[in-house]
Amino acid sequence: MAPIRGLALFPLAQSSLRKLRELFFLLFSLVTLLFFLLRVAGDPALVLAGPDATEAQLAAIKAHYGLDQPLVFQYFNYLWSLARLDFGISLESGRPALTVVLEALPVTLQLTVMAMLLTIAICLPLGAWLGIYRMRGSRRVANLIVFLAQGVPGFVAGLFLIQLLSVKLGWLPSIGRGGLETWVLPTLTLASFLVPKLTRVISTKVSETLGKDYIRTALAYGASPRTVLWRHALPNALLGAVALIGAQFAYLVSGSVIVETMFAWPGLGWQLMQSTRTLDFPLVQTLAIFIAVLVFAVNTLTDMSFRFLDPRLRDTGTGS
Amino acid sequence: MIFARRRLEQTRPRAVGSRNVELSVGVGMCMALALMVVLAPWLTVHEPDANVLENRLQSFGAAGHWLGTDHIGRDIWSRLLAGLVWSTSAAVSATLISLAMGAILGLSAAGSDGWPRATIRWFTDTVIAFPGLIVAVCVIAIIGQGWLPMVLTLGFLGWPVFARVTYAEALSLMQRSYVTNARLQGVSRRSILGGHVLPGVLPTLLAMTAFNCADMLIAESALSFLGIGAPLGAPTWGNMLAEARQYLLRAPWLVFAPGLAIVVVVVAANLLGDGLTQRYRQKGPAPLL
Repeated sequence: MAPIRGLALFPLAQSSLRKLRELFFLLFSLVTLLFFLLRVAGDPALVLAGPDATEAQLAAIKAHYGLDQPLVFQYFNYLWSLARLDFGISLESGRPALTVVLEALPVTLQLTVMAMLLTIAICLPLGAWLGIYRMRGSRRVANLIVFLAQGVPGFVAGLFLIQLLSVKLGWLPSIGRGGLETWVLPTLTLASFLVPKLTRVISTKVSETLGKDYIRTALAYGASPRTVLWRHALPNALLGAVALIGAQFAYLVSGSVIVETMFAWPGLGWQLMQSTRTLDFPLVQTLAIFIAVLVFAVNTLTDMSFRFLDPRLRDTGTGS
Repeated sequence: MIFARRRLEQTRPRAVGSRNVELSVGVGMCMALALMVVLAPWLTVHEPDANVLENRLQSFGAAGHWLGTDHIGRDIWSRLLAGLVWSTSAAVSATLISLAMGAILGLSAAGSDGWPRATIRWFTDTVIAFPGLIVAVCVIAIIGQGWLPMVLTLGFLGWPVFARVTYAEALSLMQRSYVTNARLQGVSRRSILGGHVLPGVLPTLLAMTAFNCADMLIAESALSFLGIGAPLGAPTWGNMLAEARQYLLRAPWLVFAPGLAIVVVVVAANLLGDGLTQRYRQKGPAPLL
């Protein structure tokens, strides 16, 4: 679509505007999809009224929630209330859906951020180490282990971790959220979603960087390999890698659904599992919206930091 | 520092036809798995759902059940095989749906201009921004559990990646002189896309398909593990893991068989994908094939 003319001089404003439009379309299609699917799948009035409600009670509930109106009417009503930031009332608990979501949000954020930090702490050194040296002996074995680990889905790794640290060794509680010791297993599990994959990416990145012309030039000029490695190669490779890690945040948010359910942590994912089970329509919608916004925001920030960190991308302005 | 020397060695291009271990191992593993899928009925003596309560929670190497039995006395090996059929068929079908949709939409976008292209790209960008697993959880919870709902959901969530890659590769292929040549000779747009551009995109799509199968298998088992994928009690690896989780203290070994099974299949698909990527990279640009 055509760029907005007056803003052409301000690439940042223009790209922000484009991002906002993307976010709008994303939310609009997500909300529409879920709305119609939910209405096709089941009558919310039935969920609300319970299994042994009479016809009259059902009709009363329908009238009260406006469920007796035509579907298109309900849809536009719903969009209008969303536009006023009214997310509705959770059918199960009777509390505003927004309150429930805002209570769950910090739990998920804490979990994902901790897992992200742990992932970075493991992946950067390991990936750099694997990328610097040629594949012989122990590194070859390490590489093979990383490759195999990549085939272990996060929740399987989590089960193995519970098995080892909680059941066999008895060091950590296997479920629940409380003191620091309850944090270890969920964080480790969520980190295991990403560590093998990112280690491989980073080692490839470091290895590629070391093959670049400017490294050869620096070496040819007589700079010591150590200087070249620490001053030129690693910063370049790892900055790019950090941005790559950010791009994986969405994956972690998805993973947190599994981890939260496994460890009974009352975060967004746990709430989502609970509310989909009971077809708690307003809550499901609100949770989906918030998760989508969260993921979108992180992806956008990563995009921008990518540009900020890599001067080569800065001048290209509008790349899609 | 050894890396300086290594770089010199690496500047030599890898010889054409040099050993592609990933591909051989990957193809071998996948063929073995396919064989197991086909021969599944003859590889066990127990029905996957037959339960003998006296034999519950037996460990590895029990009489008649070499992988033991689960919490209601069903043979784990039989359930593992039944799960292989269930999970791989779901993963492959979902991937094929994604592949078909992605390839068709990507090619149409590359072959058109103006609003059709803009619409397809907008559609792709929107769906790719969906948090996949979250949407899958919502949709499956709404439309119901089972093989078909899950395959359809995963398939419809997975296509944008294929569409993007197809679109990008097709666009660059359309710049080639052989496409211009075909166009000047009056070949229709559709046959150019299907007959000249698609074969060039195919190698990349093939490798993506293998990786995607692995991802879909993980997604499928994760959804079943969460209790919303396969119907409860169906013999799938995700369900087996969910059941094993209930008995972590009493029967910790129950986790290993389904857990390792998932790992083996995912590794096989990843190896295949890696091998295919390498193979086509070695042989130069795809359209020459």
